[in-house]
Amino acid sequence: MIKNVLIVDDDKDLLVSIKEGLGKYNETFSVFTSDNGLDAIEKLKKNTISLVVTDLKMVPMDGFGLLSHVMENYPDIPVIIITGYSTPEMENLAKKGGAVGYISKPFIIKDLAVKMITTLRKEADGGTLHNVSSGMFLQLVEMEQKTCTIRLEDTSSGRKGVLFFKEGELYDARMNDLQGKDAAYEIFSWEQVVLSIQNVCQVKENKIQSDLQGLILDAMRVKDEKNGAAEELPAAPENIPVIEEVKTEKYDPVSSVRNSIAKNLGDRSGVEDVYLDSSWNGLLSHMSRLGAFFKIGEIKSVFVDTGEPHNFILKKGEETIVISVSPKCPRDKIMHILN
Amino acid sequence: MKELFNDIMCVEGIKGILLFSFHGEVIFKSFLSSVPEDPETRDWALFFDAINKIKESDLIFEDGRIYIRRTELGFLVILMSSFAPVALVRLNCDVLLPSLKPAKTSKGLGRFFKR
Repeated sequence: MIKNVLIVDDDKDLLVSIKEGLGKYNETFSVFTSDNGLDAIEKLKKNTISLVVTDLKMVPMDGFGLLSHVMENYPDIPVIIITGYSTPEMENLAKKGGAVGYISKPFIIKDLAVKMITTLRKEADGGTLHNVSSGMFLQLVEMEQKTCTIRLEDTSSGRKGVLFFKEGELYDARMNDLQGKDAAYEIFSWEQVVLSIQNVCQVKENKIQSDLQGLILDAMRVKDEKNGAAEELPAAPENIPVIEEVKTEKYDPVSSVRNSIAKNLGDRSGVEDVYLDSSWNGLLSHMSRLGAFFKIGEIKSVFVDTGEPHNFILKKGEETIVISVSPKCPRDKIMHILN
Repeated sequence: MKELFNDIMCVEGIKGILLFSFHGEVIFKSFLSSVPEDPETRDWALFFDAINKIKESDLIFEDGRIYIRRTELGFLVILMSSFAPVALVRLNCDVLLPSLKPAKTSKGLGRFFKR
């Protein structure tokens, strides 16, 4: 994945020569330039930048101002300082401010490139995957409760975005000038991506506050609607109204299942219907025997994909409880709730 | 075939992999721990007849899970513990199964000329 690097310096001649000098590394990173801190902030908003290299003395906003803006708004983006007025105090100040590297002018372009490549390599310390389905991979991150920063590139459009996970929970997302849920929706609509994983997450605050599966489902729905294909696809999952607990003498397994799913997953469960159907009993008893053969106990629930527009989750009972679900439903979560 | 399934066998919590033909014959089996009974001693025809229309199934039992996936050769049955990362297993199947295809039989005159 080619990374975007932003170089900021008020010396325009130096910017040109740095850009030219770094040209030979264009398979590793592409270079954006700015001649002051304010312009750099605009470029940070509009592009998914992986690294900032900045001079300190600039107007209208100097390098320290830019450094503190990056630390506050883009804590995952490393900053390298280049300056012609290097003193130990200044270097100390820059490092205290969050800079990961400090280079005194004049410098050799190759030294800067090595520093940049070393810093960028940390972005992918958890590995890089090519041409993967983003939805499937992200559900895996959630299930494995990973803390990481994932940088993705849509293979069809070349757009880039970043997702921040803390213990499997999506905390924040960024794609150009979009942040939070808006950025997540956009990123989740990408089908095939190249992604790199960094095993840290600098984001402290959860700006998403939503279930990942639900977000992915919503993103797919928005995408389908945009493509005008909504009519050709299986009907979007209906909202499942939470049926108020009514004190009755008879236990209703269907309402109980319906309410448990609605309570835990809301209207993003992908559940289309819940009903009793004894025609599944035969299949369930065959499957029960498989468990008996391997001595792994009684069967609890089963997910079945028969290639129809909707799938089924079955729960064993006197009469099998059938939950008809959309193919993109969070099936592991539903089965977890049932069990 | 064992090499093909190596990535799945390495996933934490996997106990064994079986590949059955559509009629229930065991084509391949590999277990990381002993199983109560050799699957080849049992007639699986009725079971695979019952699940004939299934493309994919995830079975949760009290003490384990079984993931079943239809392939071009038959049904892949993966035995795992209750806490195995099933999403990772599914992902591995998505990646590996396209390469699990029946061996091509040569057609035409070529079949008479052995290399």
